[in-house]
Amino acid sequence: MADTVQEFVFNLTFPFTRTLGSTLSTFSSALAQGQIIGVRTGGRVIAPPLEYDPDTAADSGSDWVRVGPKGTVSTWTWVPEPTNLHPLDHAFGFAFITLDGADTPMLHVVDAGSESAMAAGMRVEASFKAPADCVGRIDDIIAFVPATDPSPSEGAGEPFVAPEENDITEMDAYCDLTYVDNASPTTTMWAKALMEGRIIGQKCPQCERTIVGPRGMCSVCAIELDESHVIDVPDRGVVSNFTIVTPVQYHGQTETEPFVRCSILLDGANAVIAQQEILGITASEVRVGMHVECVWAPANERSVQDIDNRSRGSGGDAIIGWRLTGEPDEPAENYLNRMM
Amino acid sequence: MSHQPVAIVGIGQTHHKRKRADVSIAGLVREAAQRALEDANMDWGDIDAVVLGKAPDLFEGVMKPEMYLADALGAVNKPMFRVHTAGSVGGSTGIVGSHLVSSGRHKRVLSVAFEKQSEGNAQFALGGGKGASIGAGGAFAPFIRAYIRRSGAPEDIGWMVAVKDRLNGAKNPYAHLKLADITIDKVKESPMMWDPLHFLESCPSSDGACAVVFTDEDGGKAASKPPAWVLATAMKSEPGWYSGRDAVNPQAAHACAQEIYKTVGITNPREQIDCAELYVPFSWYEPMWLEAHEIAAPGEGWKMTQSGATALDGDFPVNMSGGVLSSNPIGASGLLRFAEAALQVRGLAEDHQVGGANLAIAQAYGANAQFFAMWAVGSSLNPLG
Repeated sequence: MADTVQEFVFNLTFPFTRTLGSTLSTFSSALAQGQIIGVRTGGRVIAPPLEYDPDTAADSGSDWVRVGPKGTVSTWTWVPEPTNLHPLDHAFGFAFITLDGADTPMLHVVDAGSESAMAAGMRVEASFKAPADCVGRIDDIIAFVPATDPSPSEGAGEPFVAPEENDITEMDAYCDLTYVDNASPTTTMWAKALMEGRIIGQKCPQCERTIVGPRGMCSVCAIELDESHVIDVPDRGVVSNFTIVTPVQYHGQTETEPFVRCSILLDGANAVIAQQEILGITASEVRVGMHVECVWAPANERSVQDIDNRSRGSGGDAIIGWRLTGEPDEPAENYLNRMM
Repeated sequence: MSHQPVAIVGIGQTHHKRKRADVSIAGLVREAAQRALEDANMDWGDIDAVVLGKAPDLFEGVMKPEMYLADALGAVNKPMFRVHTAGSVGGSTGIVGSHLVSSGRHKRVLSVAFEKQSEGNAQFALGGGKGASIGAGGAFAPFIRAYIRRSGAPEDIGWMVAVKDRLNGAKNPYAHLKLADITIDKVKESPMMWDPLHFLESCPSSDGACAVVFTDEDGGKAASKPPAWVLATAMKSEPGWYSGRDAVNPQAAHACAQEIYKTVGITNPREQIDCAELYVPFSWYEPMWLEAHEIAAPGEGWKMTQSGATALDGDFPVNMSGGVLSSNPIGASGLLRFAEAALQVRGLAEDHQVGGANLAIAQAYGANAQFFAMWAVGSSLNPLG
């Protein structure tokens, strides 16, 4: 059964937003109109513009300059097999391109067809999306392509007059990250026990603390704990403290109503299992001192896919929650301090 | 261990708001840093090294922002350090900056800390990107319940802290919340967020940054405005979770305070310290930290709140700036505490100035109440005489 759980796959997504500030708002708003701009600061034109001179950190001001749409590749690398995270679905180059009218290079994509077409010094020009699809993101420029006419860009280096107010002041930055958590030997033992309907702890031979939701170590004594330190602990106990969370809504939130997470001091074990749900009562009815027992999912419905190496005490889908036993409450003051 | 004296000669902060829609992250940190440089009568080129702190990168979804911000903060061709110790990070960022001077390695160091909470969601980030995040309030509510029971404090203590800190915040031009008309009734009638914590007993979610310029002794003596002197620094950590841990009264808090008091020669904190900025993101942390940092005896912290001792005109003012309850750009919140303590001993805190403040402390804590940072600052190198 050591291979019950090998790895957990998690997907982390979130719609972050960026406020752009005046400089990048000006750049984005112009880009959405098909115009690339830079800023003249410290005697040179930086494109795309920065809020500050990168050499001195001085404010770079608002002396805007039209740059491109053509430019010259100064250096490049080739991506022969793009992944789904790359900007193009076929082989392409990443290049530093110094746009006409600019003194600093920008990083962008060159869609040159083949690696042999790439060269330092090659002339390229921006290929924009259709105007209706341009939103002020850097990928409004689909790619730079070899320039059909290598002559200088018209109007490059001339002043750009920014509007009084920019159209674009914010940008979405959607995060989508999938990662794999390889189960530690201790997590594997924990998951295996849950699948069998058992709760285990590891007992430190030095301080005799029992850690439920074991970690493979004693945090206090800093000694390694292994299979030989595993003990079974009761699946009954007393609510020692709790929190009632009024859920705020965020991307990925699963809760809409106030919910409870309890610490439970397990009977006779001098050990606390934390972050547990109580079944059958409303959040406001939870009290310190209540006797509770574990409610296990039927053996054939148990799953531990949602636990990881850091979620100490998480019962995955093996533990549904805890229900009242009906015994009289214990005095709260005897339990409250066992938050952990 | 011999240390070089360290002076604080520049302090800057942003106007903290729920959302600073007018600036990028770079613009936010630069706003604070430029105010600190101006206060110090310095320019970017005068700085030898930069220290940057913020809470977890998942808050904004910008990984390793120190890379993106190095040139925005003038760190080109200079050392740049990133500090992260969860909620205490702002304090740690100040301490690391001061150590770069006290060690003799650098003469002028800029520490900057920030959070731009509006770009993401703290509950999401603290929940590891999963649903049913308990958030900071959910994590700390059980500790507070345990404190209330063991201390026997009446329930209105938390409400009193919430009112007092907001009234102080209303005097601070940089504070996010300025609730000059807050009352006890408004606090207790506000929605219950994490029982026993009401909405108005909880910190806001803010965008903001704070910056501090440190110099050596010569720089402090030459400063155009009065400096603050760093008298002692301490950082302590402990495991966040172990069976039987008493998170109400963390050992790391006591160890931090003891080290500070010993270094400065403080034998009676309540009498000798003029004012304190403590990291109080939820109201009840005022009495809890007064006790855990040995300013009040065990079980007596709430009596300082109740008697008005911690009010701006009390004998031991706490959170003159309005504290975390008035502004919470998380990564910056610790440095804001540390900076306010320095402002007080410089005599530059204007409407929230404590008269004659010569010795002040500041504290920050983080994660599961397990990382602690603290410093003491004085109007001179020997304010106790």
